Amino acid sequence: MTLTSPPILLSLIVFLPAVGALVIGLLPKGRDELFKQVALAFTLVVAALTLYLALPGQPGAGADSARFLLGTAQMQHAFSIPWIESFNIYYALGIDGISLPLILLTSFLSVLAMGASWTIDKHVKAYCILFLLLETGMLGVFMALDFFLFYVFWEVMLLPMYFLIGVWGGPRREYAAIKFFLFTMAGSVLMLVALLALYFNSDLNQLGPAQLAASHLHETVVERYDPSGTAEPQHTFNLLALAHQGQSENSPFSQLLVGGKSIQWWAFLLLLIGFLVKVPAVPVHTWLPDAHVEAPTPISMILAGVLLKMGGYGIIRICYPVCPDAAYELAWLVCTLGVISMVYGAFAAMAQTDFKRLVAYSSVSHMGYVVLGLGVWSISGSTGMTGDYWKMGMNGAMFQMIAHGISSAGMFFLVGVIYERVHHRNLDDFGGLFGRMPVYTGVSMGIFFAALGLPGLCGFIGEILVVLSVWNYSQVLAVISASVMILTAGYILWTLQRVYLGPEYKGPHGDEIRPITQRELAIAAPLLAFAIILGVYPKAVFNYMAPSVNKLVDDLGQARYGNDYSGGIEKQTGSVERIEPAENELALREISPHREEAGQP
Amino acid sequence: MSFLSFLSQPVSLSHYLIVGAVLFVCGIVCMATKRNAIGVLMGVELVLNGAAVNFVAFSSPFLRADSQLSLGLDGHLITLFIIVLAAAEAAVALAIALCYYNTHATIDVDEGDELKG
Amino acid sequence: MELATLLPLLLLLAWLLPLASFTLIVFAGPRLGRAGHKAGYVATGAIGISLFLSLLALACWLWHHPLTPSHHAETHAAASDDPADPTHERSEHEQSAPHTGSTASPLTGDWYTLAEFGSLRLTIGYYIDALTLGMFVMVSLIATCIHVYSFGYMHEELEDVTDPLASPSSGKPLVRAGRFHRFFQYMSLFCFSMLGLVVAGNVAMVFVFWELVGICSYLLIGFYIERKSASTAANKAFIVNRVGDFGMIVGLMILFGALGTFSFGDVAQSDGTVRKGIFSQVRPAENEHQLIVPDGLIRMAAASQMNSIYASVPSNEEAEELIGRRVAELRKVGTGYWLLVLAGLGIFCGCVGKSAQFPLHVWLPDAMEGPTPVSALIHAATMVAAGVYLVGRFYPVFAPEVLLTIACVGCITLFVAATIAITATDIKRVLAYSTVSQLGYMMFSLGLGGWAAGLFHLFTHAFFKALLFLCSGSVIHACHTNEMPEMGGLRKKMPWTAWTMLVGCLAISGAGIPAMLGMKGFGLSGYYSKDSILAQAFSVASQSQTYGWLFYVAAGGAAITAFYMFRLWFMTFAGSPRNQHVYDHAHESPASMYVPLVILAFFAVVAGWKLPSLNLPDLLEQARPLGTAEGISFAGEIAHPELPAEHRSHEETLHRTVSWIAFGTALTGFAIAVLFYLLRIFNPETVRKWLAPLHAFLIHKWFFDELYEYAFVKPTLLLSQVAAAFDRLVIDRLADGSARFCVTVARLDDVIDRYVVDWAANGIGRLTYRIGLWLRQVQTGQLRQYVVMIAVSTVALFLLIVVCRNLMLFQ
Repeated sequence: MTLTSPPILLSLIVFLPAVGALVIGLLPKGRDELFKQVALAFTLVVAALTLYLALPGQPGAGADSARFLLGTAQMQHAFSIPWIESFNIYYALGIDGISLPLILLTSFLSVLAMGASWTIDKHVKAYCILFLLLETGMLGVFMALDFFLFYVFWEVMLLPMYFLIGVWGGPRREYAAIKFFLFTMAGSVLMLVALLALYFNSDLNQLGPAQLAASHLHETVVERYDPSGTAEPQHTFNLLALAHQGQSENSPFSQLLVGGKSIQWWAFLLLLIGFLVKVPAVPVHTWLPDAHVEAPTPISMILAGVLLKMGGYGIIRICYPVCPDAAYELAWLVCTLGVISMVYGAFAAMAQTDFKRLVAYSSVSHMGYVVLGLGVWSISGSTGMTGDYWKMGMNGAMFQMIAHGISSAGMFFLVGVIYERVHHRNLDDFGGLFGRMPVYTGVSMGIFFAALGLPGLCGFIGEILVVLSVWNYSQVLAVISASVMILTAGYILWTLQRVYLGPEYKGPHGDEIRPITQRELAIAAPLLAFAIILGVYPKAVFNYMAPSVNKLVDDLGQARYGNDYSGGIEKQTGSVERIEPAENELALREISPHREEAGQP
Repeated sequence: MSFLSFLSQPVSLSHYLIVGAVLFVCGIVCMATKRNAIGVLMGVELVLNGAAVNFVAFSSPFLRADSQLSLGLDGHLITLFIIVLAAAEAAVALAIALCYYNTHATIDVDEGDELKG
Repeated sequence: MELATLLPLLLLLAWLLPLASFTLIVFAGPRLGRAGHKAGYVATGAIGISLFLSLLALACWLWHHPLTPSHHAETHAAASDDPADPTHERSEHEQSAPHTGSTASPLTGDWYTLAEFGSLRLTIGYYIDALTLGMFVMVSLIATCIHVYSFGYMHEELEDVTDPLASPSSGKPLVRAGRFHRFFQYMSLFCFSMLGLVVAGNVAMVFVFWELVGICSYLLIGFYIERKSASTAANKAFIVNRVGDFGMIVGLMILFGALGTFSFGDVAQSDGTVRKGIFSQVRPAENEHQLIVPDGLIRMAAASQMNSIYASVPSNEEAEELIGRRVAELRKVGTGYWLLVLAGLGIFCGCVGKSAQFPLHVWLPDAMEGPTPVSALIHAATMVAAGVYLVGRFYPVFAPEVLLTIACVGCITLFVAATIAITATDIKRVLAYSTVSQLGYMMFSLGLGGWAAGLFHLFTHAFFKALLFLCSGSVIHACHTNEMPEMGGLRKKMPWTAWTMLVGCLAISGAGIPAMLGMKGFGLSGYYSKDSILAQAFSVASQSQTYGWLFYVAAGGAAITAFYMFRLWFMTFAGSPRNQHVYDHAHESPASMYVPLVILAFFAVVAGWKLPSLNLPDLLEQARPLGTAEGISFAGEIAHPELPAEHRSHEETLHRTVSWIAFGTALTGFAIAVLFYLLRIFNPETVRKWLAPLHAFLIHKWFFDELYEYAFVKPTLLLSQVAAAFDRLVIDRLADGSARFCVTVARLDDVIDRYVVDWAANGIGRLTYRIGLWLRQVQTGQLRQYVVMIAVSTVALFLLIVVCRNLMLFQ
């Protein structure tokens, strides 16, 4: 075991921020600058470690290398250590192409948000401690392979967020913090119910040996494995094992529960609501504008950049793999909610006069793309039963999460920059910033154009992939989702006009407007750089992400359609020239009907 | 049985008991009527003595028909105990009376009702 | 080097150079010389080299595919005269169209893959044919001229600028720093985007650069960001374009969802296979490149049938075979055809937005808020023509119904815009409406099957309209006003500008001498292109009377064009000065401005000339999409337009008639303009009074802005308010309400605790206390009472016991 062996490195990444919080806790009080420096140092180290994790590794590097194996769809570097064995709860972590980009996003945004925290001057020590604890929670959620552990991290992240909004927020911070807390808690409770329902219906003994091996279970669990069918059921919280169970033909989750619906139907619904609260989708989104308006700038960045992604991550990591049949049945619900969020968020954003509220509603609208992209079940006979369109949608949705993480964090930061100078956010009281803060305006335009979905910037790729994939699922939803881009252009350009353009600044504190500082530029510029890089070279993300996402789609297709599903095989979509059989051969075949031919032994 | 016949009979347990009872009642009456603390103390002594007579009488083998069921020396011992106790009590009571006099300049028990609830 | 590797390389370089210039200016803009004036050299140098490279590419192309005079059209004429004999037509076709003849096959390929999923991919590629090269040269040529022109026009931006049109609240004119380098930065980005759009090998890439030119247009319209009107116009332009793009996205979704590809042409892959493009799926070689509904669209339209086939057959191979036969049956009954129509309409929708066609034409006149070189380059010559270019490029996919729609939209646009141009007094707005009108002509022509004519007009129009705009810019530069009623008599002050602009006016009016007395016709570029459009319309009208009105509207439009163009010229340059102050300060522009005018005037004259080895019509004929030469005989589902082949319009008799009609109409327009504005025989004021309601209608631009304001903008804002209010008033209230309900329940809990449970506990305590209080009365402190009480109690107890015992005994 060296420092780079997966259990050590992954645990280090998750818990190093918590260690940092402890260190800051032990430091003597009153030295605000030091606390911030220590916290920044810890986030930097974590970011460096995650970067190391993302370096492409060699396939045969052995157990001591935790570098990412590109092109591998399976879970990597997974390990499992007993935690509460009597309830089959294990400390299990692992990464794959779905989680790694989000982990990178988290650690990267944490560094930038900590940099943006330099203006915090109230209870700095507590702030830094809570901030680091929050980071631990977020990273843990993205790495956990045990459902219970996932749940624990989920809750761990909730509390620091509550305090960060409730103590360091704006005038209505208590209201916003409690609203945030209650909404999320309500979601968590539903998740807990689903978690227990799945746990008590799971049975490791029903898995095949190969699936068991692929689930990265602890060895004592493997020893107890008894597929004879007579043994006591062995419950599990392991997400991979649960997914295998959900996708198997005789899934225990398909038993009927209440209302003529199966366990997985209910579990899917409960989990979906729980995660949609976090995304957030209409109609459980109203905590977001309030939380954003009240939260301090760095917390808004984290909230929009990372926390919202957990909802999407939960859907793709838990809802879909564990409950595929329910996912198929309820795809209409997911997609409809996604489209409603897109349209509704865009409309609501247009009506806002508070700059931050507008950005918050734009988040609702943009995260709608994520929900829609995850939801489209675009496999159908019309495209030769390939999952390609669905893969495109799901990859697009995942990309949109990263893209939105960058653009929304950037937007919130930029709003924060101007708020620090003029102490108001009223859109009608800005104007003329172009002349006063040219660099700031340039960066803002870039970031806002990224949110607008301008080609060449990151927002475009996610949006276009999602929208293009929808047509084969539902044509009505596709048309509505395409129309959102008009609204998006409307509210973003209108905002730009009101804030940056015009002859002069109209609001109060005009004399305090000064050009962007080096520190602020050092935070905004990387965001803009990433927005451009991902927009021009999206493969930087897809290289990591696509194999895992594609495998998920193939697994779901297999689980749903069995032999009919043909994965990524290029079929009769007409795009590839096929060698057509000679005409007389075709005529010969037509003589004998196919069905009977197939029926003969 | 008439009172006179009672007097004419040989001395038996009943007679002792009557003496004890008379002593007891006298003591009670004395306690209830005397306002002087010393008087009250004397009443107490009477009551004690009434009780002591009863004990002695009950424990005497001569006075009891069921003498084979004698209680031994228990009655006598308790009587002795009562006498000692009476002495001790008198000492304490007199000390109290002195203290009482010190504070109230009298030993009229009606004057002291500080222990009223 | 082979043509197939050399051309993409040359164009790639030519395409990326402006991007490099943009990047350089972004990072080093203000530091490039004093006030960033060297940024102009960087940008001009980049686009100049692009021009050189594209000329080189065109030369290489022509070296390999020399132009053949379009006589093959005549050979076809015989074939189309006898449409009843399909075998004859087919054999004719196989001989000429696909492999031999003048049609050189385009070069296709991918440079870069943005993303791929299974068989689906988003790529950056190229589709190079004669049309691409022609557009490339035209764009870079005009862009170079306009870059040079901008040195003069934008020189004010080198100093601090006083902007009289920005209105700060203080009332004083705003003084701001110059933004010379920023102008060239945007121009470079635009050139990059526009060239990308031209070279694009797939329709997704077109969309990417479509959006990018849109944002450049946004930035340049809003160049004077201090002016509210400028930023509003910029927003309007972008948002209206997005409305069109919405349709385009729908079209993209249909095509991509069904065909799995965006590529125009077939693209060879690195593994040796060939991925079929959209064109060869819609017009497969097996079907003589005639339009059929591709398999994918049929499968999409009958998705449920496909699903049930898959569900009913165990193996996928068998299912595919069954589906193959089902698709053939469904094709016969027309399944999926409406999807093809919808896809075409969707793509055209994008073109309507970009090319400012009715009903999305409203943004273009407002876009004149930008600096004049921008109007010339983006809003006259190149970007707005991109819609026409895309219609031309995507021509093979359009079903007859779509073409008919295109023709009607073009016809309406050309007429509406022309009428508005009559009353406009802002010199740039007149030109803007004229642009809209001319773009309408192009669409009109494409829709009626005049593919080459429409694109021909695109090229000639680009030259003369850029020229006209630059001339107007020169005038504005001299007069500091846009209003024509302030001008007059300027030809003496600015001869270069005046005479080059006259060339432009003549070109746009289609001035020329029609063929007569055995001589061929001769004229300026507009003469040729407009004549061929009208000839095609006439050819259509002569074939079916249903569409005859289209020709008359177009011919009427030509008269109006001549009228308002000469009105413009007379009002500006002829007569006597109307505003002496303006006249006194007017001066000829510097050489950097009038040299480009001369160059463009040269092209405006010669662009239409039919030189034997280099001329536009034959170049375009090389790029004609396969299978479109014969016109449209494919009957649609909804409409059945019979569009005759374009070469029919070249027939001697027909063409001569049309030439004379065109000449007549243009002359009429010119004559009226002369009567009104040069000789002043009629007074425009009196006519205005006669036709007051009509004048109001036109001066308000047919009330389109007001209509849209009330039909779309206000409802959208209202809806957004409703959404926000719904959040605040319903969802938030629900959430708050449920929270308040919980609080209420908690309060109730609290009340029960306090008034029931606590009351009981405290009550018992209090009762005990009371009893104690009552009992303490016994404690008198009287020693003697105690004694009596003891005695009495003892006796009483004794009695009680006795009584009780007796009672028990007697029971």
